[in-house]
Amino acid sequence: MSKLETKIRVGIPRALLYYKYSDLWITFFKELGAEVIVSPKTTKKIKDDAVKLAPDEDCYSTKLYFGHAIALKDQVDFLFIPRYGGRRKKYVGCPKFIGLAEVLQSMLPELPDILMPHYNRGMDRSTRIGLVIKAFRLGKIFTKNPITRIRAITRAFRAQKIHERSLIIDEETLNRWENSETILNDFPIYNEKYKALKIALVGHSYVLNDPFSSLDIRSLLQEYGVDIITSEQMPRILIEKQMARLEYDIYFDYEREILGTIMHFLESKTVDGIIHLMIFSCGPDSIAGEIASRFSKRDTTIPLLQLVFDELTGEAGMRTRIEAFVDMLRRSIEKQTVFLTAQVHI
Amino acid sequence: MPLSFPYVGTFTYVFESIARGMKRDDVIVPNEPTYRTKQLGSQVSSEFVCTPFKMLLGSIIEVLEQGAYEIVATVFVDYCRLGYYSPLYKIILEDLGYEFDLINLDWFDKVDFFRSFKKLACNVNAIQAFQAFRVGWIKNRYIDLIDKLLYSYGAVEIEKGTAYNVAHKLYRTVVETDGMKNVRMLPEIIQKTFDDQVEIDKELNPLKVGIVGELYAVVEPAINLDIMRRLNDIGVVAFTPITFTRWIDLGQRMNPFKKWHYKSCIKHAKPYVRYPLGGKTRESLGSVVEFKEQGWDGVIHLYPFTCMPEIISRSILPQVSREHDMPVLSLVLDEHTGEAGIQTRLEAFVDLLERKRNKGTGI
Repeated sequence: MSKLETKIRVGIPRALLYYKYSDLWITFFKELGAEVIVSPKTTKKIKDDAVKLAPDEDCYSTKLYFGHAIALKDQVDFLFIPRYGGRRKKYVGCPKFIGLAEVLQSMLPELPDILMPHYNRGMDRSTRIGLVIKAFRLGKIFTKNPITRIRAITRAFRAQKIHERSLIIDEETLNRWENSETILNDFPIYNEKYKALKIALVGHSYVLNDPFSSLDIRSLLQEYGVDIITSEQMPRILIEKQMARLEYDIYFDYEREILGTIMHFLESKTVDGIIHLMIFSCGPDSIAGEIASRFSKRDTTIPLLQLVFDELTGEAGMRTRIEAFVDMLRRSIEKQTVFLTAQVHI
Repeated sequence: MPLSFPYVGTFTYVFESIARGMKRDDVIVPNEPTYRTKQLGSQVSSEFVCTPFKMLLGSIIEVLEQGAYEIVATVFVDYCRLGYYSPLYKIILEDLGYEFDLINLDWFDKVDFFRSFKKLACNVNAIQAFQAFRVGWIKNRYIDLIDKLLYSYGAVEIEKGTAYNVAHKLYRTVVETDGMKNVRMLPEIIQKTFDDQVEIDKELNPLKVGIVGELYAVVEPAINLDIMRRLNDIGVVAFTPITFTRWIDLGQRMNPFKKWHYKSCIKHAKPYVRYPLGGKTRESLGSVVEFKEQGWDGVIHLYPFTCMPEIISRSILPQVSREHDMPVLSLVLDEHTGEAGIQTRLEAFVDLLERKRNKGTGI
């Protein structure tokens, strides 16, 4: 019993990179013998706290991160906010990921101690071995036993690998999905009157997987009998193929995924429509969104709907847009083709 | 083919003199950005892309309307959006139906840089082209010197506006000077002209304010609504360490003994932001400490709306300001920024600085 009480509690805000690396982090801290507390799913209270506190110009997702950090404030001994700059050479994440921990520390001095390991393979000279060494040093807070620490690191990496393998599909599965032989996400509710639609849902993982900030667009689409594929699931090889077609390098790692998916479906024409979820004042999105909409205007066969979210977004507005978009796609299958590239603030 | 470039503050003069040095007679010099420039750029770009993107695009469209064909642009691979400017301009301008050739100068890839540079310098050989570039970076120092003198003399001049007129004559002199020997004489001429022609009130002890922030927001008067001149008008000396010198000036870059302002700033910023994250974040934070140590009165931090790295510095600046007892004013700028808003904030800030100074000296 006493052992349980002395467990160090580590808090991980459920926002931004959590949706990409949750398995890695949670496994790592659990193996080290820490108690991992993940902040609850985004609620209205978290949002209100976040908007009140965060800098006005930050993007909506970053603002939510502040809310999640505050929600954890009193429950944990340490907050885990890595300064993450990118895992591949030359490709960077968002600069805000690197500055988050320091901004939080500066704006909210009452927060518990923040564990902020730095890893940036994109621009800095961090190496993979460097990451392991950093993780090893970080583990010292929790246990002095080096074997436990090494085991925690290997298990964490393995968990992340398994997570990615199960998330990212291969080309064969994609082909089967395109031929309606398999379902990748939730089973859409079919209506006998209509044919099932296929839509590519494109966006950052922290928007796609957060029902609050995306206003639960996934279940809304499911309700309308739409079968979706998300940009996270796309085979990397297809994305790299699309990126090679460009004359320049898209160096934001997550935008490659987004733009690559849009470009792939604009080219292969295997879906009925594309919905791109954008976050207001997101820097990388403003670039990728612009390129995507320009490409879509040049080749108008596949309609592209870009939805811009922010903290003032209303659910009714989004419902109307999605309904209209889905209806339009249905009509275009039956009667005539509709060309559309639209960006709407909702 | 007519050559042109977007307007970027006083750096435009450096561009112009490099093009002249390469014996390009078909240079179209861009106009200073106006309200129309901002509108042109904003109409065709994504709404929450950063303001420099829109304004530079507007400037490019204006020179294309004047008949330019070759446009000089830069490609940076940084943490921020700067690296996408040129590719995206290409797509947008193609859609708008312009005929043009964007020539990308990539500062980090030196070989590629000189290759593109050679393409621009079609009238001269490689050595002459390099020489033109060298003269360009040396002239850049003198343009910076004029800027520095302008915004210090401007604060204490007796008849308002003299320093400004003198500076504008001198910019032209710098651009039109040929020959290395004459160029080397320029700093003396500049200093002398200011001493002779601008009458100053030597008894004044003006407040001194350092200006830091995002590069374009600091160097382009059209986006910051000529903030340095506004400060001068209310009797404050303004100075900015943020210029193009650190990139273009290969001569100083190769000098190991040169003391760079930004390097010491980065050291000062270490407790706040340890690792690089793009833009001038660490420099903006460190500058506050640096200016405090040098005895300046305040710092103004400028950044364009939705600039990713500078939002981080803006969030941490209050802490730095508190810990070092240095007043900091953060101003966010975009194409809709109003003059009255900026003027009121500046006046309030300067009043505050004055009160702080008087309290300090016990008056």
